[in-house]
Amino acid sequence: MKNIILIISALLFITLISPSELSAQNNRDQITVQVDGLGCPFCAYGLEKKFKEFKGIKDVKIEMETGIFTFSYPTEKAITLDMIEKQVDKAGYTAVSSKITRADGTTEESKQNITELSEESEIVTKDIFVAGNCGMCKARIEKTAKGISGVVSAEWDKENKLLKLEYDSSQTSIGDVAAAVSKAGHDTKYTKAEDNVYEDLPGCCHYDRIN
Amino acid sequence: MKNILFIVSVLLLFSCNPSESWMYDGNISLNKTTPIGLASAIDGSTWIADGDHNQIIKINNAGSTILTIDSLERPMHIATQGELVLVPEYGMDRITMIEQNIRDTLSLVHKLDAPAGIDFYDDQYAIADFYNHRILFGSGDNWISIGKEGKKDSEFYYPTDVQVTDTKIFVADAYNNRVQVFDTTGEHLLTFGNNEKINAATGIYVSDDEVFVTDFENDRLVIYDHQGQLRQIIIENLDKPTDAIIKDGVLWVTNYRGKSISKFKKSKN
Repeated sequence: MKNIILIISALLFITLISPSELSAQNNRDQITVQVDGLGCPFCAYGLEKKFKEFKGIKDVKIEMETGIFTFSYPTEKAITLDMIEKQVDKAGYTAVSSKITRADGTTEESKQNITELSEESEIVTKDIFVAGNCGMCKARIEKTAKGISGVVSAEWDKENKLLKLEYDSSQTSIGDVAAAVSKAGHDTKYTKAEDNVYEDLPGCCHYDRIN
Repeated sequence: MKNILFIVSVLLLFSCNPSESWMYDGNISLNKTTPIGLASAIDGSTWIADGDHNQIIKINNAGSTILTIDSLERPMHIATQGELVLVPEYGMDRITMIEQNIRDTLSLVHKLDAPAGIDFYDDQYAIADFYNHRILFGSGDNWISIGKEGKKDSEFYYPTDVQVTDTKIFVADAYNNRVQVFDTTGEHLLTFGNNEKINAATGIYVSDDEVFVTDFENDRLVIYDHQGQLRQIIIENLDKPTDAIIKDGVLWVTNYRGKSISKFKKSKN
């Protein structure tokens, strides 16, 4: 009889624990980062290596085709989206998006576009020539442009080097975008990147400078 | 007079030795294997480093897997030394030596940061030390460190592969998009490859008279003579190439994205 009571108690205890509580007990946050330009294995493994500097990192996976990089990290270390994006930058990449699923089930995601339109908004579509080479350049250029308040969409074509922009002309201008993209290391039709910023770009991003 | 003209014509014909170039000769599918490095095994088969899956596999000439060795952390450009396989473990900062399933670590006086390639000649090793932007050359307690980060001659920007001959060290200077050649004391001899606008020189192989460079982003194999003069550029049937070797007169090139090996044979033009 004692054994039966013990078994029933144990079963009740197990069934009363919800999945999120189990996750919390696991005490690990799940992190997903989408990184563009992960075509080269040397760089992708380098990204993985840089994240190993985070002590306690586990379950590291990289999907080369999609650029999705996942890992788990101890909850008590309170990793932030900013820490993740800085580490991606340190490896020479640009995080297109990042998401943390905490052990308690709550989530935090990076905000990709900050533009809010109003009645005064006037959407303009324009192309601008931006120098660059590769998938990593594309990620950097597009992320920089999308980070400007007023830009609705930004897509850079590796072949013709044109950045196709949709933006609210009441909030920003093509000159603002050119200045920001140059600050990130890319020459444009109107603006030139600082030499030291250009030199700090990853090797495969060293495009032919615009004179 | 007619005879003289005939003899001269024949002599001219024979003196115009038609040049030879590498021509496509088929493909070996590797299924899910993502090949990065290649090395000939002593038994005539081939070792392949499968970086994505943390393993090296041994295949026969038909492409069937004979042996798999796993639990290697991002194996890169491997080399063989008799029965021994030398594996740069990029993720573990070490060179693992494997012989008949027994593993050992190559003893070094320098600390590696992501070794991407290894080769040897006459018991002297050369290692491409990727994140330290240098080449280590030597053995035992006697090593020299060649280069530092930069773009000038004798400087590197992420070297990924290295090949040693009796007198020279050839380096795939990946993100300087070129090849650099040194003597075995570390003296710079030659730089080439920039004219061909290589985009990531990921792998290198040196034969008796040619230097083969994989041009990763451009899906090409660029072939030079030992003086750096361009001989041929292969642009077809390659999909993100990472390494090359010659086996029994056949050129094998790994296709990282293509998960295959492309084969080429020399033919007269």
